[in-house]
Amino acid sequence: MKKQKKMNFNIILGCILLAITLIPALIGLVWTPYDPQKMDSSLKLAGSGIRHIFGCDNFGRDIFSRIMSGSGITVMIAVGTVALGSILGTVIGAFTGYFGGLIDEALMRINDVALAFPSLLLALVMVSLLGTGKYQVMLALGIAFIPSYARIVRSEYIRIKNLDFVKAARLAGAGDLRIMFVHILPNTKTVLLSSVMIGFNNAILAEAGLSFLGIGVQPPDASLGRMLSEAQSYMFVNPGYVLFTGATIVMIILGFSLISKEIG
Amino acid sequence: MRYVFKKILSSIITLFIVSLLVFVAFALIPGDPALSRLGTNATESALASLRHQMGLDKPLMVRYFIWLGSALRGDFGTSYSYSMSVTSMIADKLPITVTLMIYSLLLMIVISVPLGVYASYKEGTLIDRIIQIINQIVMAIPPFFSGILITLFFGMILRIFTPGGFVSISKNAVGFFGFMFFPSLAIALPKSAMVLNLLYSSLNGEKKKDYVRTAYSRGNRSKTVFFGHMLKNASIPTITFLGMALADIIAGSIIIEQVFGIPGLGRILLTSIQNRDYPVVIAIIMLVAVVVIICNLAVDIIYRIVDPRVEENT
Amino acid sequence: MEGLLHVEDLNIEFHDHIVPETVVYDFDLDMKEGEIVGLVGESGSGKSMSALAIAGLLSRHDMKKRGVIRFEGKSILDCPREELRQLQGDEICIIFQEPLTSLNPVKKIGWQVEESLRIHTDLPPEIRKQKALEALKEVELDDPQRVYDSYPHELSGGMRQRVMIAAAMVGNPKLLIADEPTTALDVTVQSQIVELLKKINKEKKTAILFISHDLSLVGQLCQRVLVMKNGYVVEEGTVEEIFDHPKESYTQKLISAIPKCEGAQDTVKNNPVLAEVEDVCVSFTKRKGLKKETKEVLKHVSLQINEGEILGLVGESGCGKSTLAKTIIGLLKPQSGRVNTKYPNTQMIFQDPYGSLNPTKTVGFIMEEPLKNLTEMSEQERRALAEEMITRVGLDPMYLSRYPSELSGGQRQRVCIATALMLKPKLIIADEPVSALDVTIQAEVLKLMSDLHNELGISFLFISHDLRVVYKMCDRILVMKSGEIVEEGNRSDIYEHPKHTYTKELLKSAGL
Repeated sequence: MKKQKKMNFNIILGCILLAITLIPALIGLVWTPYDPQKMDSSLKLAGSGIRHIFGCDNFGRDIFSRIMSGSGITVMIAVGTVALGSILGTVIGAFTGYFGGLIDEALMRINDVALAFPSLLLALVMVSLLGTGKYQVMLALGIAFIPSYARIVRSEYIRIKNLDFVKAARLAGAGDLRIMFVHILPNTKTVLLSSVMIGFNNAILAEAGLSFLGIGVQPPDASLGRMLSEAQSYMFVNPGYVLFTGATIVMIILGFSLISKEIG
Repeated sequence: MRYVFKKILSSIITLFIVSLLVFVAFALIPGDPALSRLGTNATESALASLRHQMGLDKPLMVRYFIWLGSALRGDFGTSYSYSMSVTSMIADKLPITVTLMIYSLLLMIVISVPLGVYASYKEGTLIDRIIQIINQIVMAIPPFFSGILITLFFGMILRIFTPGGFVSISKNAVGFFGFMFFPSLAIALPKSAMVLNLLYSSLNGEKKKDYVRTAYSRGNRSKTVFFGHMLKNASIPTITFLGMALADIIAGSIIIEQVFGIPGLGRILLTSIQNRDYPVVIAIIMLVAVVVIICNLAVDIIYRIVDPRVEENT
Repeated sequence: MEGLLHVEDLNIEFHDHIVPETVVYDFDLDMKEGEIVGLVGESGSGKSMSALAIAGLLSRHDMKKRGVIRFEGKSILDCPREELRQLQGDEICIIFQEPLTSLNPVKKIGWQVEESLRIHTDLPPEIRKQKALEALKEVELDDPQRVYDSYPHELSGGMRQRVMIAAAMVGNPKLLIADEPTTALDVTVQSQIVELLKKINKEKKTAILFISHDLSLVGQLCQRVLVMKNGYVVEEGTVEEIFDHPKESYTQKLISAIPKCEGAQDTVKNNPVLAEVEDVCVSFTKRKGLKKETKEVLKHVSLQINEGEILGLVGESGCGKSTLAKTIIGLLKPQSGRVNTKYPNTQMIFQDPYGSLNPTKTVGFIMEEPLKNLTEMSEQERRALAEEMITRVGLDPMYLSRYPSELSGGQRQRVCIATALMLKPKLIIADEPVSALDVTIQAEVLKLMSDLHNELGISFLFISHDLRVVYKMCDRILVMKSGEIVEEGNRSDIYEHPKHTYTKELLKSAGL
């Protein structure tokens, strides 16, 4: 009874945090209170007020509007990254885990190396190969995320393919592809779901990190990491800029990790 | 001993594969290093002679082995943009980054292990709840944001240190280590939260195991069951995680160097990526690979000492 | 005069759900010094909970206990933990079902055997070691010094359980609680452990509370028996009373569920051959670092299965019987030799009904799968056949829309049998089909299989480690050991005139 209550509390809190951050991000795709790119030198680094609730940045742009559109871009990149990484990773993991053999060993060797590498560094390498910009970042991070999904899915396939129900399916005449995707895949959903949730967080962190370093999303696009790195220069003049932007990232990540903690 | 030898051998092979992949990846990037060095209005003959001088006219695999040969002797070539030896560029900055890494690793262990053990020992109490809530929040803070918060709090509000006031170790050793505490803390905090979380949940998982029941049935005190039986079992996944966390610390230090204005490897790496100064990028990546692989090796060996079940076939 | 242990009106409640659930009701027990009492019941009957409460190990906050447990006059339920600790491991010891997980995996055996001495005595390390080695010797371990220096994963299941017993006996306790100590072990090892417990009781006068689901083992070991069902003690008496004159219908059902080895007649048939295995060898290669290690699992096995018979295949775990089953059905390719099955539709039933049904699919989906893949039947035809077959195995067609997790173990095994029937097979290979089930459920599933045999004329290859079950089911029997068939014969030949020493050993362990 007690346990049940606590679980719901985590999920509810997680949903609230995500609602606070993601709903404005969604609205930000179509409408923002001010044009996030509109500069106004008279409002340079203005503090919080009634008209500009989070204040203005060094070009006099409305910070609230910029956070709305910036978190939209951050979340979009994260979704794309996770989709790319998890789908390709699942397919690679499924084939290598199910069939095993020499290709599996060779791929896993490369995979181990890639996994041992800091994913941010891997993304740095990818970005230096692909160039900067939001789609390049998505592609770079997506590729950098493939190994972790491949590894997780592969080990699930190795575990499940030896279970009796898979043998029973084979005796029932199911072919390899049918066994892989109709019989085994649904059984990986718990593991896959929780790693998608964790992956989403890692993607937000990685994108923010890249953009913070100035090699991710490029102006005029704003992402939360990009904004944080701009805000850092002015943090003694207008600490609200840094704090509001940072808090948005923390709330998104906290929301996801609270939910994934209960699901995983 | 045979196990250690085998592990070392496989690490060397892995390193070799990494170097090949990295070198080939960078060699295939479109763009001509000679052209970017001399500018667009250079003559064709000047370009050709520079290409020959840089060895770019040789086949890819030949270039790789030439590079590998000199890299093994500690020579990573010449920087495109600074025309100086890559090795000496790195050697200058390496101690700073290494200090940052070791400092963070130590802080991470010092913060996470006692708290994780304590929280699990007191599972269900108020103090456990408080630790859990704080931990959950800290875990969600990206390292660069924790750096900014630390700068704001310790630098601006408490004024314990001067933001951006990096001093080199040769000028002022005390100042150096005092300053480095804050960036190290910024890297260590979010990672400690993860280690704490892992240690906490694996300790709680051990509580349900059969051997714990056996230990109680022999009349052990709860404390002895916890520290004498469970701790060693629960430390096994934590050791693995610490090994992986090191890779994240390296990544974290690249970012944190920017936040705190530390002239370490991270800054060279970033400028080199922006300037497409590939010899420097490759050298730093290989350096990271060596560190990561040595750490994995160490984890494997420690793992084997702690867990007798690890068989030779791993 | 109160004896060693006195339990009165013990009630155990489980408070994890909204409504508290009682798992043990009004449990009474009196044990004298040196007595062996058996506690019998199926899974979920509350026997292990009672035992844990007596050992003072039921201290979880969601468990509520009421009643009296007194050990030598001292109350276990409400004495402080510090006093309880003095009894545990010194006067009261307990051994568990799964010796591998019950031992600490990262500590050496010696350390664990000495533990009670370290806690309860001030003996110097040399004496402790000496006592531990003696204890290991007393449980008939061959090389006590080597075992002393080993880790749990380096020993076999039987050795680990001996180590558990040694660790319990090292401090000469007055009461040993054995919670299903033989369930995880092979039959021949089972009877060795029972003999060992008998010897300990005789030599050390240790009272033993023996908890088991296996009535025949309890009969071999105990003087007095308590039968439990759904949290109640339904019957209590001496072994003779319980076995010869059971009063309660549940006890009678339990006893009748033990397959008897009498009255069955050999039905010698010379029917045509259905499947044939000729000189089959199977080996597995495991890469161990750079070296390859080959393990021969089947060594030149030949057998034939005739139409209309139930062929039994008996052997202990690891003897290769499951590998043989997989080879016959075509899941494994033999390195040499031939397998001929005359009819394509041979089906298989697996041991673990939890692992053999896909948890993410409905029963209907699982049952229709073979028809989908191998026939051209329409959806309606498939559904109609599934309904027919699930009714045939005694389940309501509404189960077709259920998920396996909603079914009990017995129901799952029925679903597996129904699935096997979907393609109307001539031969079904049943690999330990009832070993994961409770005894009364076992009897029901066995009856279903023999009905199918009689009514539909399906042949079975019935694989089991349990000689009693095989005796009840099979016309002809093969005995397997280390990948070889060591004896083959009709039922009466094997059971009455066994030739091979291994067969004799197996029969002896099963108490036949």
